[in-house]
Amino acid sequence: MEMLINITVNGLATGMLIFLLAAGLTLIFGLMDVLNFAHGALFLWGAYAGIWVYTSSGSFLIGIIAAIITCCILGYLLERFIVKPVYGNHIQQILITLGAMLVLSELVKVVWGPNIIHARAPEWLRGSWEIGDIFFIKYRIFIIFVGLLVFGSLLFLLNRTKLGLVVRAGVMDKEMVQALGINIRKVFLFVFILGAGMAGLGGMLFGPYSGVIYAEIGLEYGILAFIVVVIGGMGSVLGSMIAALMVGLLGSYAAYFLPEIALAVNFLLMLAILIFKPSGIMGMKEALK
Amino acid sequence: MSRLKQLSKFKLTLSVLTIGLLFLPFVTDSRSMLIMLTKIFIFAVFAMSYDLLLGYTGIVSFGHAMFFGIGAYTVAICLKAFGPSIPVLLLAVVITIIFTAIVSFLVGLLTLRLKAHFFAMLTLAVAALFLVAAEKWRSLTMGNDGFTFVIPEILRDRVTFYIVALVFMVIVFLFLERFTQSPMGRVLQAIRENEPRVESLGYRVMHYKITANVIAGVVAGLAGILYAMSLRFVNTAVFATELTLDALLITIIGGVGTLFGAIVGAALIEYARHGLMDLASVHWIFERWVILLGTVFILVVMFFPKGIVGTTQSWWVKRQMNKVNKLKPKPPAKNKNFTQDVG
Repeated sequence: MEMLINITVNGLATGMLIFLLAAGLTLIFGLMDVLNFAHGALFLWGAYAGIWVYTSSGSFLIGIIAAIITCCILGYLLERFIVKPVYGNHIQQILITLGAMLVLSELVKVVWGPNIIHARAPEWLRGSWEIGDIFFIKYRIFIIFVGLLVFGSLLFLLNRTKLGLVVRAGVMDKEMVQALGINIRKVFLFVFILGAGMAGLGGMLFGPYSGVIYAEIGLEYGILAFIVVVIGGMGSVLGSMIAALMVGLLGSYAAYFLPEIALAVNFLLMLAILIFKPSGIMGMKEALK
Repeated sequence: MSRLKQLSKFKLTLSVLTIGLLFLPFVTDSRSMLIMLTKIFIFAVFAMSYDLLLGYTGIVSFGHAMFFGIGAYTVAICLKAFGPSIPVLLLAVVITIIFTAIVSFLVGLLTLRLKAHFFAMLTLAVAALFLVAAEKWRSLTMGNDGFTFVIPEILRDRVTFYIVALVFMVIVFLFLERFTQSPMGRVLQAIRENEPRVESLGYRVMHYKITANVIAGVVAGLAGILYAMSLRFVNTAVFATELTLDALLITIIGGVGTLFGAIVGAALIEYARHGLMDLASVHWIFERWVILLGTVFILVVMFFPKGIVGTTQSWWVKRQMNKVNKLKPKPPAKNKNFTQDVG
């Protein structure tokens, strides 16, 4: 029983990290039909920049802020110089954001060296709470809390603000939104930067969760984010949350009960979804041509 | 007439170059040169198969390494299990062709109906499944540790293997050239340009795309066979995403939509890597050669979408057009007409 609860909490925490990465990706994809393959690299840069500032300044919160700011800046640069020139051409978008992913992943090694970097949770998040006979690791609860906070904020932004109204309308039909006189490109730039910031936050939180960070996490978690976007349906934040939790929990349970196929379960899940429900759980757009 | 003339010149140049490469091992005794050229030939074939998808059909696959890996593992397992002889090698070739054809057919069937983004992601997922299978199925693959194996006696000589790789590349080039120039190849290029229109013209688009996927998969598998044999070692790296990215890089920089571009691209990138690795002792920044190649990749996608060979071809065509225009007789001066009218 205690073990099941621990596995569940672990899965939820992993799911939240993936959600932070996938939410931005799905909005960007849904709004402008741009799949940003460099999104994983933003997660990576968030991790490195955040941990570096955190270890330099000693303040975890300043590290988080640094990670978010770094990735917002990178997101702006990515959108302005990499994505903007190739609007409307899917093949070029895939290729050019992939190139950006490669360059950003390698630049991390130039700035911080190729070695694995260790990361520890701050004092006030180390250890665990004990409720009854069950131990809850503080840092994992913290991640779940932050994830829910971001999720709530996103839902509020999307459903209770004018900007959110424009974003949701843009996800459904961007031509109509433009015809109504709204500059969809500026909204997209904002969404892109927002998504980048969330990726950076996810990366920073990932460091102490994992214990170490290395250059390959960008591609690894980028792939997980793609899986979540496919399963959840593009353009849907709620779909991303549900799918991220599914992926996190499934991965966690599989790692414990069926370690042989742990790496494969998420891919199999994505395959199944694409075959039987191409638009995803909450999808509003078809994956089919 | 001038068109045929240009084509003949190009083919003649290629033939001379090929013959030159055939005699190279007897002129130089540089072993590392032979090894590098062999690797270039193998990756040129791999990139050509990728170009069939990306350049000719307009499909971005992130899982092309799965076919390469299937070929590599098949030949390694067969030669290790049944002994290093030519018949076993031929058996491995047949198995690879059948297996890659089946896998590429099924993957194509499942995924080619999806939009570009989804196809890219899904092929990435399927290739990752193969990687996981190779990792976990240790009794057969030895996982990430990999294993060495012995190749047939006749192919152990580096010169002989070099010649085999060169001939193989030439044969694949000629075959794919023939295929892309065929009516089916024309339809594929039309699909790349405007798929809905091709559909409305009555072509069964899915049929053509799956066929292209199968041919690309089989050719990639054959390249994998040669690769494993050149190393005489195989591990899960043959299924890695990095391999697909290599093919993508070679195709884009060399010239998308041109088979010859894959060869040029493979040569350039292998030499660039080699050179940058040498320079790593001068300054550590050169160790990060991915940054340079990645940046070149981005710039090529943005500003030179046709790559080296494609851009060169366009420039050449323009030059020929200008040359023809100069020979046209000038129209008679209008002044004369005006003067005569007045007179």
